[in-house]
Amino acid sequence: MPPVIDEKKCKKCGYCAAICPLDVLYLDKAAQKLLVRYPDECWHCKACMRDCPVKAITIRYPLSHMMLHYPKEVE
Amino acid sequence: MHKYKCEFLCVGGGIGGLMAAIAAGKKGIDVIVAEKADTRRSGSGSNGNDHFHCYIPECHGTDMSRVYREIGASFDAGPWVDSNLTAVWINRSFEIIKMWEEMGITMRPTGEWRFEGHGMPGQQLYNLKFDGALQKKCLTAEAKKQGARILNRVVIHDILTGEDGRVTGALGIDINNEEPEMVVIECKAALLATGMVSRMYPSITPAYMFNTPCCPATTGDAQAMAYRAGAKLVNMDMLNGHAGPKYLARGGKGTWIGVSTDIRGRSITSYNSKPSRATGDITADVWPTCYRDRLKQGKGPTFMNCTETPVEDLDYMLHTAMVSEGIDSITDYCEHYGIDLTKDMVEFGTYPIMMGQRGIEIDDHARSSIPGLYAAGNCTGNVNGSLAGAAAFGMVAGEDAAEYVKTVDEAPVGNEDLINERQQLYDAFMSRRDGAHWKEAASTLQNLMNEYASADQQNEDMLRAGMVYMGQLRENCLNELACANSHELLRSIEVLNMIDLAEPIFLCSENRKETRGPHVRADYSYMDITLNGKFQTIYKDKDGTVHLEYRFKK
Repeated sequence: MPPVIDEKKCKKCGYCAAICPLDVLYLDKAAQKLLVRYPDECWHCKACMRDCPVKAITIRYPLSHMMLHYPKEVE
Repeated sequence: MHKYKCEFLCVGGGIGGLMAAIAAGKKGIDVIVAEKADTRRSGSGSNGNDHFHCYIPECHGTDMSRVYREIGASFDAGPWVDSNLTAVWINRSFEIIKMWEEMGITMRPTGEWRFEGHGMPGQQLYNLKFDGALQKKCLTAEAKKQGARILNRVVIHDILTGEDGRVTGALGIDINNEEPEMVVIECKAALLATGMVSRMYPSITPAYMFNTPCCPATTGDAQAMAYRAGAKLVNMDMLNGHAGPKYLARGGKGTWIGVSTDIRGRSITSYNSKPSRATGDITADVWPTCYRDRLKQGKGPTFMNCTETPVEDLDYMLHTAMVSEGIDSITDYCEHYGIDLTKDMVEFGTYPIMMGQRGIEIDDHARSSIPGLYAAGNCTGNVNGSLAGAAAFGMVAGEDAAEYVKTVDEAPVGNEDLINERQQLYDAFMSRRDGAHWKEAASTLQNLMNEYASADQQNEDMLRAGMVYMGQLRENCLNELACANSHELLRSIEVLNMIDLAEPIFLCSENRKETRGPHVRADYSYMDITLNGKFQTIYKDKDGTVHLEYRFKK
């Protein structure tokens, strides 16, 4: 579930849901809850994290997107 | 059904669409921008860019033959561009840079014009190093200031034309609410600018199809609706892709300050052996398939090796440049997992096909072959469509459209049959129960493209079979897709657009009976020299007859 919402900080303003380029986030106004509705459609672009006015969002990078790195061999 | 009316409609609120809206708005034209997400953070430029490919006379001198030669040689889309169009954006690039600076975009983070990256050692540098992190917000604000109306979460599906062949409007859906609403927009002219085609082929992680180097919301909508409307497409047989880290797909390879090396740290090309902040590593610009080619040749793995990069340059790359470019997911990832780029090399890969700068043929006024229909950016097929090209041709389109709309009378939107057909399709998708999910169709689309219009090798039999299977997939989609809400209808429309766009790829690939560049044919393994210097075009006339032609590159 790539964007991780800190429920204690989130003010349910819905800005992240409005600007997400992939429509991953959804503000359920009735339940006053911010949902990560389509986690596997996340691009990990950080738009939500950047623009959250109360910094309530972090991104979790899934194991499917592991960045392969190899230690330089020291001769 | 919601109806709107304007003089000039911009389909896609990216760099091209917003620049067109600004240019036309300045001339007093009534403009609507229809964007499937939100123009403040949508598309491949959503979170930033850090290189603006440009010509600044006071920095580059007036030897234009040198400028054209050097800029032309470093295109990451290869040689598939018309020189007269390249000239347009070269000549207007500085004007745009100054305009962007006035809008509040930081074009000179150091206070002076500074060029870095995408550079060949020994040649002049043409990529202005800027901070584009807020570019979309600034462009959005300027478009509004110039009077444009922005319709966010409005997805255009078809361009409408009248009896005389010119643009009369567009149709689509509003996805602002859970229940989608059909939208019809009357206009005299329209710009198509929806970017590249990110999800037609499998991603580098096939189970996760949104793991793409450029924005996965770019699904060839412009190219598909242009083709359906009868506009000419070009270079659809020249499959291309991007390169970057495995398996966190991310564009912006020019932002890395390192060298492409093998596992022992040996550079894979002779361009540079030491990392250079000035030039970056141009390997993947001039040889974008290098990582895949080396794997196929048994020479992998290949790395972006920053272990020799000075620590201050690494810090700058991770914490300044990648933020400006909007790819600091990489920075976060490195920090989270303790990846130390002074010690760890990051394996790079060639990403699967994404069809950037393959699409709508335009002229030097950004006009397509349909009167009143313009295109800009990565959905065009004969000019560099990335940031600078999108900005230049968006602006050119807006200026030209502002004049064009004064010369034509208002015309009814017409197209009642198509509008009804689409409304019935959306209703069927939304009311169907126990139907097919769009991801099922997307999976088959990607498998068919990957195997039957392969980036590795094609033959006539496979292309013909793939075309038939794609027709079967389209039919099954129309009969079986079901959508629970407007989000799923958006995704379904995207898949249908990519299925339609497969047709010109299959037909152009089959008709190019030779091997050239990225087009590799098992049954024609040699080059046909009569096609030297020629681009292939395709369009469908009103009767549905397809016309394939070769024309000389300009």
